[in-house]
Amino acid sequence: MASVQDYKRRIRSVRNTRKITRAMELVAAAKLRRAQARIEAMRPYADTMRELIAGVGRAAGSVRGLPLLQQRETTATTLLVPLSGDRGLAGAFNAQVVRRAFALERQLQGEGQTVRWLAVGKKGRSTLAFRRREVDGTFVGFTDAPAYADAQGIAHRAAELFVEGEVDRVVLVYNTFVSALTQTVTEQEILPISADILETDEEERRDDVLRGDFIFEPEPEQILERLLPVYVETQIYRALLESSASEQGARMTAMRNASKNAGELIDGLTLEMNRARQAEITQEILEVVAGADALA
Amino acid sequence: MADVSDHPPFDVAVVTPDGPVFSGEAHMLIVPGAAGEIGVLARHAPLVATLKAGSTRVHLGGSEILEFATGPGFFKVELDRALALVDDAVNVKEIDDTRAQSQLEAAKAELEKVEAGESTADRWQLEQRIRHAENQLSVSGRTTG
Repeated sequence: MASVQDYKRRIRSVRNTRKITRAMELVAAAKLRRAQARIEAMRPYADTMRELIAGVGRAAGSVRGLPLLQQRETTATTLLVPLSGDRGLAGAFNAQVVRRAFALERQLQGEGQTVRWLAVGKKGRSTLAFRRREVDGTFVGFTDAPAYADAQGIAHRAAELFVEGEVDRVVLVYNTFVSALTQTVTEQEILPISADILETDEEERRDDVLRGDFIFEPEPEQILERLLPVYVETQIYRALLESSASEQGARMTAMRNASKNAGELIDGLTLEMNRARQAEITQEILEVVAGADALA
Repeated sequence: MADVSDHPPFDVAVVTPDGPVFSGEAHMLIVPGAAGEIGVLARHAPLVATLKAGSTRVHLGGSEILEFATGPGFFKVELDRALALVDDAVNVKEIDDTRAQSQLEAAKAELEKVEAGESTADRWQLEQRIRHAENQLSVSGRTTG
C-alpha cells in the first residue's frame, strides 16, 4: 500500500499541474478577448469593402472577363485550405478542422476531383505531412494573433493557383466562433468569387441615383480588378480571426476542465492520504497494545 | 495661401482591417491616388479611386495635420463624406526609423536567400514587406528631413 509520503508527493505534482492549466486558462481568456475585439475592429473595413464592390460593380459594364469571378465549367481540382492552430492543448479545435478537411477530400475524390492543399498553422502542417499530402504552400507562426499581411500572403498564393488554372475552386475549412464552449467547423468557398456580391437590389439602385454620378479614377472595371483580390484577402483575414478566437475559446474551456479534473484528483488523493495515515496510526496502536498484552 | 480652416469641415475616415485610424471631422484630406495625389475639401464631387502606398494627410484645421504612411487601397467620396480604405496605416509620429530600417534589411536579406535557392519563404510576401518598410521610411524622411 502507498504510504503517506507517496500520496503527498502525488498531490504536490497534481497541484503544480493545476497551477499551469489555470495560468493557461487565464492567458487564453485574455487572448480570446483580444481576438474578439479584432473581429469587431475589422467590421467597418469589411462592410465598406462590400459596399464599394457592389457600387463599382454596378458602374462597371462587363465584369465577366475578370479572372477571379470566372466560374469554371467543370471543377477538376479543388484547393483545400484548413485553418489550424500553431499549438495544441485546445481540446478538439485542431482535430475537428483536420477531420472535416479529410472528409471533404474523400467526398471530392469520390466525385472524381483532384484535391490540393495549402497548410495554415503548424498543427495542420504536421498532420498533412504525416498523411503524406503534398502542399502547395505553408503558412505558420501567426495563428495566435494573425496580421492582415498573413491573410494577404495566403490570398495571394490561392489566387495565383486559381488564375493559373492549377485549381478550379478554393475552399477554406475553419472553426467559427460561437462561444467559448462551442466552435463550429465551416466550409467557405472563396474562389471563384460569387457574382452575388455584385448584385444589388432596387433600393440601392435608387440610392445611387440620389447620390448622382461618381467619378471613377481609373475606370470602374480597373478598380474592380483591384478590389476583388482585396475582397479575397478580407474574407481570409476574417476566417483567420474567427479561427484564432475559436482556438483561444477552445483552449480556455479545455484548460478549465483540466483544472477542474486536477482539483477532483487532489480531493480524492487527500482522502486516500488521510485514510492511509489513519491506518498507520491504528496499526501503531495495535502494535503497542499487542506488545503490552504480551508482557502482561 | 488660404488657410484650410476657411473651408467647412466634413466627415473623414481612414479605415484599415485593424480598425479606423482616424474618424471625425477635418477640413481637408490628401491621399496618394494611383495617378497622383488627390486633395479633397468639403462638397467634393462623388469619387471612387484607387490608392497606392504613400502618405495620407488629414488637415484638422489651423496648422494641425495628421500624417499616415498608408499602404495601397481605395478611396471613396460621397455626400460630404470621404473614406480611405487602406490595408495598413502607421502614424508618422509612430514610425520607428531604425526599426523600419532593420525590417527592410532583414526582408532584403531573406529575399536574397530565396534568389539563391536557400530559403522557401514566399517571395511575394517578402516584396510586400520591403515595400511597406520603404514606404514608412520615405514618408517619415520627408517630414523630419
